[in-house]
Amino acid sequence: MNSKMRLKRYWQFVIKYNTVFIFLIMLVVSALVSDVFFTSSNLFNLIRQVTPVGIISMGMLLVILTGGIDLSVGSVVAMAGVLCALFTKTLPLPIAIIASLACGLLVGSLSGYLVSVHKMAPFIATLALMSIVRGLGFIFSKGAPILVNENASALSDFGSGSFLGFPNPAFVLLIVFAITAVLLKYNVFGRIVIAIGSNEEAVRLSGIKVSAYKFSVYAIAGGLSAVAGIITTARTAVGSPVMGVGMELDVIATVVIGGASLSGGKGSAVDTLLGVLILGMIGNIMNLLNIPAYSQQVIKGLIIIFAVLLQRFQVDKN
Amino acid sequence: MNRVELRNISKSFGGIPALKNVTLKVLPGEIHALVGENGAGKSTLMKILSGAYTKDAGQIFFDDSEVQIRNTHDSRKLGIGIIYQEFSLVPELSVAENVFLNRLGLTGFWMKLGRMKKRAEELINSIGFCIDPSLRAGDLSIAQQQIVEIAKALSEQVRVLILDEPSAVLGPQEIQKLFDTLQKLKKEDVAIIYISHHLSEIFQIADRITVLKDGTSSMSLPVSETDRDSVIRLMLGRSLDTMYPLRDSNIGEEVLKAVDISHGEKVKGVSLAVKKGEILGIAGLVGSGRSETARVIFAADKSEKGRIFLSGKEIQLSSPRKAVKMGIGMVPEDRKQHGVILSLTVKENISLTDLKGISDHFGFIKAKKESNNTTELIRKLRIKTENENQETGKLSGGNQQKVVLAKWLNRNCRVIIIDEPTRGVDVGAKVEIYDLINELSRKGVAIIVISSETSELIGICDRIIVMRKGQIQGELTKKEFSEEDILRLSIGANEHTARNFKR
Repeated sequence: MNSKMRLKRYWQFVIKYNTVFIFLIMLVVSALVSDVFFTSSNLFNLIRQVTPVGIISMGMLLVILTGGIDLSVGSVVAMAGVLCALFTKTLPLPIAIIASLACGLLVGSLSGYLVSVHKMAPFIATLALMSIVRGLGFIFSKGAPILVNENASALSDFGSGSFLGFPNPAFVLLIVFAITAVLLKYNVFGRIVIAIGSNEEAVRLSGIKVSAYKFSVYAIAGGLSAVAGIITTARTAVGSPVMGVGMELDVIATVVIGGASLSGGKGSAVDTLLGVLILGMIGNIMNLLNIPAYSQQVIKGLIIIFAVLLQRFQVDKN
Repeated sequence: MNRVELRNISKSFGGIPALKNVTLKVLPGEIHALVGENGAGKSTLMKILSGAYTKDAGQIFFDDSEVQIRNTHDSRKLGIGIIYQEFSLVPELSVAENVFLNRLGLTGFWMKLGRMKKRAEELINSIGFCIDPSLRAGDLSIAQQQIVEIAKALSEQVRVLILDEPSAVLGPQEIQKLFDTLQKLKKEDVAIIYISHHLSEIFQIADRITVLKDGTSSMSLPVSETDRDSVIRLMLGRSLDTMYPLRDSNIGEEVLKAVDISHGEKVKGVSLAVKKGEILGIAGLVGSGRSETARVIFAADKSEKGRIFLSGKEIQLSSPRKAVKMGIGMVPEDRKQHGVILSLTVKENISLTDLKGISDHFGFIKAKKESNNTTELIRKLRIKTENENQETGKLSGGNQQKVVLAKWLNRNCRVIIIDEPTRGVDVGAKVEIYDLINELSRKGVAIIVISSETSELIGICDRIIVMRKGQIQGELTKKEFSEEDILRLSIGANEHTARNFKR
């Protein structure tokens, strides 16, 4: 009886910190199956690969915490990337960056406006924007990749460079993550976002302007998607309208692997970051093992199911 | 022969025992009342019988032979019907579909909608009500939803019927019809288990009564051999001298005045005013527009016309946020849907109304200040919780209600509207809530209390207005308070009085 109880308690501990455990298991498995995994060049690559998804996932986390979803993020990545590359041809670099960022914010604000003011279902509103913005990306670029202008080389220097052994963009992710984590834990904004996802009407009846907060999470997600787009463009020195196709699914997957509930009110920045790394590692290790791309998709899906099943245990326990 | 016997049932949640060796025997053709404070284990016990929970230990007998109830399917096969305290209707489906929800597939591949509607209508009529079976369940009032729940339970041949607080949302007339139905079922030899906080109902309808206390001791006795006071003593383990606080009202100038406010069919030109330090009661049947009136004043629903004055100055209330800013607070009728956020902590719930007060310019929360604030309120309201970081959903109904009250004590409100202050709250917590309301009014807060429990309104209010069909039907001063008059006004029986107050 006693040992059984103890076992049960261990099990509960594992379930409670399931994201951490999955992360650790992934690390161990990766190290075992590939001796290249723990080389610095591979880890460098891994981090660089996950950075765009990671940055957006923080915005997506906020949206999902309110009980919403944003499907337009992948399209915004492409549009912002294309615009940034285009702007470098005519504008000074800082202004090009700010302008393309503003465009991302604008798209996000539009989603936020439709959802919060017109009470449109987030899935529908952002699905429509996903299509519109993807189209705009193609229109702006006339369907071809846009090279970043030569005198904006500072952009690609930043994108492909590193600092203290980490790729530069990783620091952007780190900052975005830190701000999100702090907002969620110590700031009224995070408190309200979580509360809205738990029970919107109760929040409204407490005298809080729910629509303002719903609006802002979409705006933030749009802005962060633009950041990811600019970073991708910086890394490759090309803004392409086909960037970020299907990326929204990866981003949503990382948030879900991180234990967030799609109905809102539950999720954390740390777990989401772990989710980003887990998903990144899955892709990375399969590449190292030369698993064909099609099988990769199947395996990725299976691992997502497994991760979420583990969280179901937690819910059922309650 | 017992229809159902639960023998030595134990159940714990995460190591905390909810039931310990509880035994309950129910005879066929008997209405068996199950009473106890919130958290005494009544609902848990019933969920074990209905298969929603599985027992840790003990035996269940049905018609004296042991049965295994592992899930709700097992219990349904035995003919156990249950009407939960929390509604289980699917809001998007029609009334008829909800009634036959667990058998939608069984009538063949195609749903026979027409027949289903007809059958649902007959069922609802047979229990004395009239609800259009093609309405969406989500559009029904809470009382109507409750009635659909009852019809759903009766849509199958039940041999045991469990009702968990069925009357909480019903008005007196509706309760009477429910009781008629129960009497009819009783004649058909159905065993009925009736959970309620309303002892007067229990003494009116039950044959035997079982008292649960702290999930441990259970005591059964015929209703004829006991009385209200001894049941309360058994429930609380102590006697209850007075339910209602002594009222020495110090009523000042008018604080809030609503003139001719309207909202759809529910509120039709209501005017009312409440003064500083006054407790105004609003009585009326369910659906009379009481709660809707409150929601319009608080701007939770938009007012179609009419004006609202605060301390003589007209104000425009466009959202609850504005109302809160002006110093109006509201404790909503539906605690779990609108009052508290169950998944958040007690602290987070209480702070929700005053986040500015506990944070700096950039919105960063001053953790220490927040903790101090909330622990003080927890202490003051005697909220039974481990600490301020306990999840609110884990508290009993009475303590959750105190959390909602604490939200508004957190701000210095000038007006507080309390819709159903003690619904689903046990006797002990009820008294504390009454004391609290009394104390608030003594501090000069103008209070509007809406309640289905007439005795409660009489006990704590200075003045009562009675609503019927969206209009004010009459007003009673403290000297004129009587349950009969309030009931008569609610059902519109007294044409003379009614005419006097019609505009």
